[in-house]
Amino acid sequence: MTAELKDKKFINIIDTTMRNGEQAAGVVFSKHEKLRITKLLDEIGVPEIEIGTPSIGEIEKDIIREIVATKPKAKLFTYCEAFPENIAHAVDCGIKNIIINISTSDLHIKVKYGKNRTWALNQLRETISEAKHSDLDFIISAEDATRTDLEFLLKVLYLAQKRGAYRFRICDTVSRLDPFRTFMLISTILNTVDFPVEVYNHNDFGMASANALASLRAGAVSLVTSINGIGEGTGNAAFEEIVMALKYIEEVDLGIDTSKFREISEYVAKASARAIPVWKAIVGTNVFAHESGIHADGVLKNPRNYEVFEPGEVGLTRQLVVGKHSGSHTILHKFKEFGIDLTSNEANELLAMSRAMSVDLKRPLFDKELMYVYKDFLEKKKSAKHVAAPDD
Amino acid sequence: MKGLNLLTDFSKKTGTKLEPKNIKIDDTTLRDGEQTAGVVFANDEKIHIAKMLDKVGVHQIEAGIPTMGGDEKDAIKAITALNLNCSILGWNRAVVSDIDDSIECGVDAVAISISSSDIHIEHKLRKSREWVLDSVRTSVDYAKKYNLYVSVNAEDASRSDMEFLLQFARTAKEVGADRMRYCDTLGILDPFETFMRVRTIVEIIGIDIEMHTHNDFGMAIANAIAGIKAGATYVNTTINGLGERAGNASFEEFVMALKYLENVDLGMDTHLFKELSEYVAAASGRFIPAWKPVVGSNLFVYESEIRASTVFKNPATFELFGPQDVGLERKLIIGKSSGVNTLTLKLKDLGYIINEKDAFELSEIIRDKSLALKRALFDSEIVDTYKSYKGDTKSKGGK
Repeated sequence: MTAELKDKKFINIIDTTMRNGEQAAGVVFSKHEKLRITKLLDEIGVPEIEIGTPSIGEIEKDIIREIVATKPKAKLFTYCEAFPENIAHAVDCGIKNIIINISTSDLHIKVKYGKNRTWALNQLRETISEAKHSDLDFIISAEDATRTDLEFLLKVLYLAQKRGAYRFRICDTVSRLDPFRTFMLISTILNTVDFPVEVYNHNDFGMASANALASLRAGAVSLVTSINGIGEGTGNAAFEEIVMALKYIEEVDLGIDTSKFREISEYVAKASARAIPVWKAIVGTNVFAHESGIHADGVLKNPRNYEVFEPGEVGLTRQLVVGKHSGSHTILHKFKEFGIDLTSNEANELLAMSRAMSVDLKRPLFDKELMYVYKDFLEKKKSAKHVAAPDD
Repeated sequence: MKGLNLLTDFSKKTGTKLEPKNIKIDDTTLRDGEQTAGVVFANDEKIHIAKMLDKVGVHQIEAGIPTMGGDEKDAIKAITALNLNCSILGWNRAVVSDIDDSIECGVDAVAISISSSDIHIEHKLRKSREWVLDSVRTSVDYAKKYNLYVSVNAEDASRSDMEFLLQFARTAKEVGADRMRYCDTLGILDPFETFMRVRTIVEIIGIDIEMHTHNDFGMAIANAIAGIKAGATYVNTTINGLGERAGNASFEEFVMALKYLENVDLGMDTHLFKELSEYVAAASGRFIPAWKPVVGSNLFVYESEIRASTVFKNPATFELFGPQDVGLERKLIIGKSSGVNTLTLKLKDLGYIINEKDAFELSEIIRDKSLALKRALFDSEIVDTYKSYKGDTKSKGGK
């Protein structure tokens, strides 16, 4: 087993924005929004999409039916707990692929179901047989897999394999993994059973993306992601981070249209009423904003000094911000954009004035304010001879 | 990374036991945090943040850039004058006059920063590797004369040629630097690459390493942890992960990940995390997302039927640490993903006992409402809905 991902034939992404994403406390997507999100995901080339949980009720089912009727290229999935009666709900929606979830840790089996391991296996068998009876393809999802006795987890995996599952999902429900532990766990499983495995991560300690990538290195073939990482609690592995990390760190291009990332992120942010932090990796507006003298100067000389990819690639633009940490190069460049060529002495003086104003305002300056600073500067220059500020 | 056998190389080495006494936090909220485009702290805010960081237990505070002068210098002087328990570090370019400014501020430690990658040396500094090493020698030598603790920062270390990075580290060590900061300036490392590079430096040069990671691909924490596992002893964090572009490794996430995933308790007062995060959020004008790991307001808020009804039976089912550990609260809200059990639990909380049949019908009504409103319901709305439902069923029963 080596570290190289480049040679991998196919890495699958299954998006759960509309299922686990919507399960985030307080988040509700309307039918219209779900239809739009499906369309956007489909357009940029996401291969598989989880669209909801039919057993929630009639309204949810209606939405699922409408999404199914749009016939996207992507494979659509609905989600259910391993209870045989849930299969009828899925069939009722006209869906062909489902995820059957069962908790596999002893703690969950005991507290969540009030049962034992034998019950869990039996429950899975009965639900699977119902799904097969209805001609559904199914992923078996092991919830809290990362706190499950490995022997029992393998037993569940064998059962899934024997009964014709499409894939097996390992859920790091409480974020128990770090990348190294992820690698060991997935490697161990795949060394024992040869079966397509996907990994579902949570971000409780900020490691969802890193764990997801580590699982691919260990041989997993599929990842569960959501736009903006939206999901229960701290959320899941963020789709846009995974796609870009694969492309620029692992040199694996999934062929997804990244130029729409900002647009999709914004749409999901609006629909979920969860603003995109300006510092959000990949799609935050601040990711290509440079203020500090050293960084801005470096970017002006060559963007590769401080940027791995061009902002346009994810639908963003580069900004130079003039504030407390700016240097004279930024001032020169900014005014050149305004059509004003400054001498380096003038730039230094304007820099000192801009910095002082920024500290006073506790924020960087708008372009308009920069022009005000320039006007003040010209007046000052007219009224009195001045001494140039020191160059730092 | 090419062709590396992960199973044999990593499984053995990452098993090394981590010791709390060997891991130190150098918080840079006041330096890299403030360097974030759009963020400016007032001096009073800086002083308050420094006090809170000291109280929470960080080992070192990177207080700012003395050579910027003016307000910045005043703030750093005020912070060193507080005589906190932790070390106070000033950031410098590898320039003697920068270090003079640091000395004037009364710091006990300096970070001397210079790029080590060819791309930076050529395109940013427009100098040579030899010039870089000379600058390291001169500036470290100068700082050491004043008995300062010296960290040499290898900026853009991740894109640096490994041979040169080793030479850089060796030079720093030879002239007496106390540690080298490994800066993943662009956030392009993954944990495995991090492990390998840091391990190589630690094994060959044997200098203390500090991890400075960026979150451009969402891996700042994982890379910091990987660095520690490879033998690094310092981590450069910021509150809320504030920092240029996508930010740095977040202090609170790193501390909790070490504590709950790696069983290393740094002894930080985690109960203050929420307060500290809120203060920095307000001072930086950058809100805490509700879903932010460790301190987000939504972390212990449950809505979906199975998860919520299970977690209230036994929190360990979905939580590795409790809300009280970080100054938060556990809450149940009722919305589209809720069902019979969660509704029953909620109403009981609000002082109403409901039978199973009623709960089933009422949960359908509430689901519709939540979908129509596109949000979870307020407690008062739940009570209203319950009352009008009871009124309805009563009047039906009366007929």
